[in-house]
Amino acid sequence: MIISISTNKNNVKATVSPHFARCEWFCLLNTDTKEYSFIENPLFNQQNHVGPHVVELLIKKGISAVIAGRFGAKVIDTLIKQNIQMIIPDSSKTIAKIINQLK
Amino acid sequence: MARTKKNRLIQMAPHFNGFKPQGLHHKSNSEVIINFEEYEALKLCDYELFTQAEAAALMNISRPTFTRIYESVRRKIAKAFIEGSQIVFEGGNVNVIQWYRCSECDIAFTLTDDTNPHCPLCQSKTITLNS
Repeated sequence: MIISISTNKNNVKATVSPHFARCEWFCLLNTDTKEYSFIENPLFNQQNHVGPHVVELLIKKGISAVIAGRFGAKVIDTLIKQNIQMIIPDSSKTIAKIINQLK
Repeated sequence: MARTKKNRLIQMAPHFNGFKPQGLHHKSNSEVIINFEEYEALKLCDYELFTQAEAAALMNISRPTFTRIYESVRRKIAKAFIEGSQIVFEGGNVNVIQWYRCSECDIAFTLTDDTNPHCPLCQSKTITLNS
């Protein structure tokens, strides 16, 4: 399973971003191998409809769960229709901590 | 008999129970009850800045119904502000999207498949429904 984590820096010490779509980087984490990679968010500065476009982009990467501090109304609507799991961690949690919690 | 109300879809219930006025000399004895559909209407319209038509579609209700709910919550908030009443979030005809909690990982999450509920990070099966 691949999980996408919204974050503002491209290293594992960064905390989870409070916004799902308006963040600078996405960390794609493979829960089986614990391998991860970062992709830059091309829609970061777009004005409208960032959420649904980001969901589309991430689905192409094959994700089945997303982690972010908060999800907007339209995003929740699209994610539920696409059957994607949403996870909201404690705001101070870093990516490294999430990787450590994987079993 | 009155027609039963259609259930409104709520994405996440508020994580606290309400508001109390500050600096009252004696305890305020009146309270204003805001139900969850009103909370959601206010959130979609004034916090996430959707138009009323978009917000109504997200809550699975018609635009006039949404306007009625929104009007009602604004009046209630104004009443509580002016009279110094407590605000309590309670009740309503709602379907809330279910969020679960895993106490070990300190996360809240939704489930995509109900047959085998478990925490997505630590795989533990001891999860609780967040209410």
